[in-house]
Amino acid sequence: MNLQQINPRSSNSPKAPPSRSGLAIGLFLVCLGAMFILAAWWAYGVIKTGTATQATPTLAAPTPASNTARLAQPILSSPQNPTQLDQGSLVYWGICMACHGDRGQGLTLEWRAVYGEDQNCWASRCHSGNHPPDGFIIPRDNLPHAVTGAGSLTNYTTAQQLYDYIVVTMPWWKPGSLTPAKAWAVTAYIFKLNGTLPQGLALDATDASAIQVHHLVPASQNDQIGEIVLAALLGLVALVLILQANSKPKAVLVGSHQTTLSGELAPARPRPNFLLHLHPPSIPAEQARWSYTLGTGGLAIFLFLVLLVTGILEMFYYIPQTDQATISIQTIARLVPFGGLIRNLHYWGAQALVLVLFIHLLRITWTGAYKKPRRFNYLLGLALLMLTLALDFTGYILRWDQGTSWALVVGTNLIKAIPGLGNQLYEFMVGGAQLGSAALIRFYSWHTFGLTLAMIAGVVWHLFRIRRDGGIAVPPARLRRSEERISRVELVRREMLLMTATAIALVLLSIFWPAPITPPLTNTSVDLTNARAPWFFLWVQQLLKFGNPFLLGIVVPLVILAILIVIPYLFPKPADSELGRWFPKGGRLVQILIALLTLLLIGLTVWAILPGPG
Amino acid sequence: MNKPSIPRRDFLKMTLDSLLAFGGLLGLAGLIRFLSYKTEPPQPTEFDLGLAGTYPLDSVTAVPEVPAVLIHNDSGFSALSLICTHLGCTLQVQSAGFACPCHGSRFNSTGYPIKGPAATPLKKLRVEQTTDGKLILYTN
Repeated sequence: MNLQQINPRSSNSPKAPPSRSGLAIGLFLVCLGAMFILAAWWAYGVIKTGTATQATPTLAAPTPASNTARLAQPILSSPQNPTQLDQGSLVYWGICMACHGDRGQGLTLEWRAVYGEDQNCWASRCHSGNHPPDGFIIPRDNLPHAVTGAGSLTNYTTAQQLYDYIVVTMPWWKPGSLTPAKAWAVTAYIFKLNGTLPQGLALDATDASAIQVHHLVPASQNDQIGEIVLAALLGLVALVLILQANSKPKAVLVGSHQTTLSGELAPARPRPNFLLHLHPPSIPAEQARWSYTLGTGGLAIFLFLVLLVTGILEMFYYIPQTDQATISIQTIARLVPFGGLIRNLHYWGAQALVLVLFIHLLRITWTGAYKKPRRFNYLLGLALLMLTLALDFTGYILRWDQGTSWALVVGTNLIKAIPGLGNQLYEFMVGGAQLGSAALIRFYSWHTFGLTLAMIAGVVWHLFRIRRDGGIAVPPARLRRSEERISRVELVRREMLLMTATAIALVLLSIFWPAPITPPLTNTSVDLTNARAPWFFLWVQQLLKFGNPFLLGIVVPLVILAILIVIPYLFPKPADSELGRWFPKGGRLVQILIALLTLLLIGLTVWAILPGPG
Repeated sequence: MNKPSIPRRDFLKMTLDSLLAFGGLLGLAGLIRFLSYKTEPPQPTEFDLGLAGTYPLDSVTAVPEVPAVLIHNDSGFSALSLICTHLGCTLQVQSAGFACPCHGSRFNSTGYPIKGPAATPLKKLRVEQTTDGKLILYTN
């Protein structure tokens, strides 16, 4: 029996002379490395040239000769359903072009010549000091500026800044008469003239702070190449992990010694590394069946690690001030290299974690894994679930955009509904008498530090208790059907496989479905007509439609939590022999209760999403 | 004859480790790119000092936003950086030179260090005059 198959670290082959095999291997590795260096260089090169040369094509060359052609109404790309650029070109032609030129060149002599005998704007008094009632002054020492070309628009860095200027001060003869939609349209058109409008982007406050006036912001597809390389590498790792699978254990491990089937002691193994030592030397194979645990516990740990790392990275760019928060998120999502990937990983990781924890709770309650001695660990798990929901909620608020207005206003007002303590709790959460910068910085501190520290402590304790309570719940050894065990190496391999598969799924999600963001929240724009809670609180939003906010929004969720807490203490539990599988007979009451609660929550959530009155 | 070989599993393990190491390097490169993004616009390198006529002959005018001094003497306009060549503090203009408040370096009026930890002369900055008589100071 070859024990090396359990511990693939050591090689049993005799030392080969360092001639041909070494050369061959070396050559192979050099070629492999060269291939990958080329791939990385190409990917990086594409990304670099992408930023330099990708640009929306600027307008066609100026129309020749005929002056009337230059003054003609622009041809729309889609007359039946005008795009934002179509509308922008019309606004520019009708309102801006006379002063700013057909190519955005400003009121140059060349442009004025197009108007033939009217080319001297002031001669006929129309635009001089003594203009008729429907004329207006064009100052001779400050002519309408160019909006394209070198040296133009130097006061503006972002589209938002240009829009803010245009919507307030333009047109010259009637400032502020442009509707926001028209102002956005003409801003987009000016960007198109400058070649700095990302292809296909409909410009509005949602991303205007990340669109730069003077250089084109490449669409995130440039990062996609790097991300796809990442996903491919992860796929390769997953492939190798699968290929390393031991379909059945190669030796039966009895006690703490490794023995062959003939009973001889194996040579002493090297001491395990850190990762291996976190796991017991071997565990009963029954504990590690995918069909039993669904891997939800390990998955939750992995997702939490992803959230920690991506969260720390986001902290380098996120600014927790009310006027900067959304802009900084736009910067992360559009401007920082791989920023979109990090943000999306954080968002999808968070939503996946809530879902996985819910399934983990179902698994625990539907397999009876809450019974002694695991009762305290079950309570720890519930505490971790509450912490996760609090982290998701506080993180959601940090967006400080219009989409989060429901959560912000209703969620905090719900606290006020608590009799007696309500107002004080509200002021504690919000840092003042109303929502503002104090609330944002508090939520930020809770999210990045307070709740995270508590979560880390809870996770470590939860994992410690799992080891202390004898690992994943299965019948005790004397009642177990099989004596099979798997080694810690095999256990770690399975965990790595699950993590790699999840990482691939998360990266693919992040590439193709970006995290949501809406225009920034300003004090005047809290419009709650279509406001929605974050998806994991939609059931609460639906409950609140029925009446008393304290009873429905606070008491009902607390009652559900109380029921969950007492399950291991008050309800009948399965026998020890029944552990390790789904729906043991002894835990029937709990299973039905959990099923009913689940149906209730899902039902309320679906009801909240359905269109209709209220 | 000896046929040297390597067990298949060891070869595959070597390959996997190389792949992982390379992946790690790529990840590190990505991380460095991520952290290298600059959110603040770069400092300006050109400063408009206004009309040349406002600076009389033999004047030494401090330009604090650079920081630099504009010198108008017989050979025309020149500028010296007021950044101390020791550790970067802003120099103070004195009657016959410049002094650094941080560690006591002293420079004479041509920017040469005469005392103190500073050992290299002050950087000379380019000054040009535009066609309409404006002075432009360049820091690059």
